[in-house]
Amino acid sequence: MSTLPDGLGLDRRATLAVGAVCVVAALLVPSFASGYLEDLVLQALVFAILALSWNLLAGYAGQISLGHAAFFGLGAYVSAWLTTPGAAGFPEWLLTHAVVAIVAGGAAAALVAVVVGPAVFRLDGHYFAIGTLALAAIIQLVLNNARSISGGATGFYVQNEFGEAGVYYLAVVALVATVVVTYYVTRGRLGLGMQAVRDDPGAASSLGVHPFRYKMWAFVLSSFFAGVAGGLYGQYTLYLNAGSTLDVGWTIDTLVIVILGGMGTMLGPLFGTAVFMLIDNLFSQVAGGLATTLEGILIVVFVIFVPNGLYGLLSERAATTPAAEDATDHAPADATPERDPQE
Amino acid sequence: MPSVDLLVGATISGLLLGGIYALAALGLTLVFGIMDIVNIAHGHLLMIGGYVAVILAMTVGLSPLIGMVVAMAVLVVVGLVLQELVGYVVGEGIEQPILVLFGVALAIQNSWQYVLDTFLFGSDARTTDLGIVTGNLTLAGVSVSSSRAVTFVVSVALIVATWAFLRYTRTGRSIRATAQNPSAAGYMGIDTDRIYRITMALGAALAGAAGALLSMLFPFDPYVGWSYLLKAFAVVVLGGVGSVLGTLAGGAVIGVSENVGAVLIGGNYRDIVSLTIFLLVLIVRPQGLFGRTEGGD
Repeated sequence: MSTLPDGLGLDRRATLAVGAVCVVAALLVPSFASGYLEDLVLQALVFAILALSWNLLAGYAGQISLGHAAFFGLGAYVSAWLTTPGAAGFPEWLLTHAVVAIVAGGAAAALVAVVVGPAVFRLDGHYFAIGTLALAAIIQLVLNNARSISGGATGFYVQNEFGEAGVYYLAVVALVATVVVTYYVTRGRLGLGMQAVRDDPGAASSLGVHPFRYKMWAFVLSSFFAGVAGGLYGQYTLYLNAGSTLDVGWTIDTLVIVILGGMGTMLGPLFGTAVFMLIDNLFSQVAGGLATTLEGILIVVFVIFVPNGLYGLLSERAATTPAAEDATDHAPADATPERDPQE
Repeated sequence: MPSVDLLVGATISGLLLGGIYALAALGLTLVFGIMDIVNIAHGHLLMIGGYVAVILAMTVGLSPLIGMVVAMAVLVVVGLVLQELVGYVVGEGIEQPILVLFGVALAIQNSWQYVLDTFLFGSDARTTDLGIVTGNLTLAGVSVSSSRAVTFVVSVALIVATWAFLRYTRTGRSIRATAQNPSAAGYMGIDTDRIYRITMALGAALAGAAGALLSMLFPFDPYVGWSYLLKAFAVVVLGGVGSVLGTLAGGAVIGVSENVGAVLIGGNYRDIVSLTIFLLVLIVRPQGLFGRTEGGD
């Protein structure tokens, strides 16, 4: 069995090769391409990390959180405070290198998840979705009102010694790290537990898979990566604003990406990011102010008619071509990854 | 520490506000209780209702109380369309309806903002005026604005009417039967699809009414949907899912705590107070302050 459980008809080596080419291409962007393209790719990198992290929580562990933007925003602010402590009124000895600050942003978001997790996981399904939406609204309101540390409506100007290119390369590394970690998590014991909890919490629990433990792991890991994405964004754009950095728009875009690509699949969020970047730019060219409307309609259409996302469509297509015939032990339409027996 | 008079005033006007919050939550609690769907687009339906009243007031000079009736009619149609969409994904799991309604909410918010900016008066916040009685009324020695009093009376009347409809009419009985057990209701000859359409249309119409009334108290812009969704959901949770009269109690708690909180710690923190109470109740007592515990998890 040499195929990855992705059903695209590519074997592991080919997938790795494609991935390596993408990474090299991304690393070459700052040297050869325009600043505009670099901005776009950085945005895509940030979105891909966000999408992978939300997918871990929602796609694999089945917890539809509508509060992802809060963890993104927290990561952005914490990393900004660490590289620019003076502007927030913090002591100067807090000053840290951007790389450390970005990781610390992720850690802070994860810490908040550890603290609020036991509370929000008393909620299920609808209640969890609305509860996380409310939690994010509270965090946004609090930061918005705490003008001295968040900059309020004027915003917060971030400084670092690392430079735009440094943050860019770091974002490429961070995405690769996110992919590797989520790959091994979802293929391993932890990920299997998450999927068991998603598919049937009762059955999982009666087999000794404690739902709360696995939900917490998913939530904390997911929040960590969302925080890192926020940190990267803040250190790259060098400007934060509680209104827009914690805006529900980040949650919305993340949802669109994962649903477009295919929820609960490894490559779905990456596909989704690429397609989203294309249509987002295309939509704003073609539809102007109506771009968000088209995104809303896309969510509706995909959830109803293409529930497995573009990734699901492609793997169905691949399953009907001869290249995938040796992968017959995978249900073609079922995009849920299985454990690779070779591991 | 603010004076006692100020606190009493805040409490009374909070109670009046609670009445309209209860109405805003009524449609949400009905759809949740009967169809087991949280209408994530509920706040956006409310926003449409508010704008129907605003447009009628601005163009033809109609009182928002008449605008409310028009808003309800418009929202019935919207609700029926929404039910067609949701019908595709019902029974497929919990996240599909959430995501579909989320998409609908986005489309409503953005397209409406676009229409306002391109064809109408722009997306700046707008409000309406009661028009018939103005000035303040004195209630138990406290002066309250007449629009608060009128919206309270109309809201409570609509809530009681909905309660009576569910309790005493044949259709109301069918709705309650479907809520209890859809298959059993089907065996008894109830067309459950029709019941679901009626419920969604009713829920949307009530959201529209609440929006029209709220337009007299607070300014509307195309983005108010999310905050009213959270407020309405807070009321639903406090009052117990599916409980019509429970919304009155939930609305009162949210209205009073918001107003008193605004007096005690400042107006900026108004929403934080109600959201925090909501989150705490959700976590500590998910069946609601006045709801009954159901067995199981």
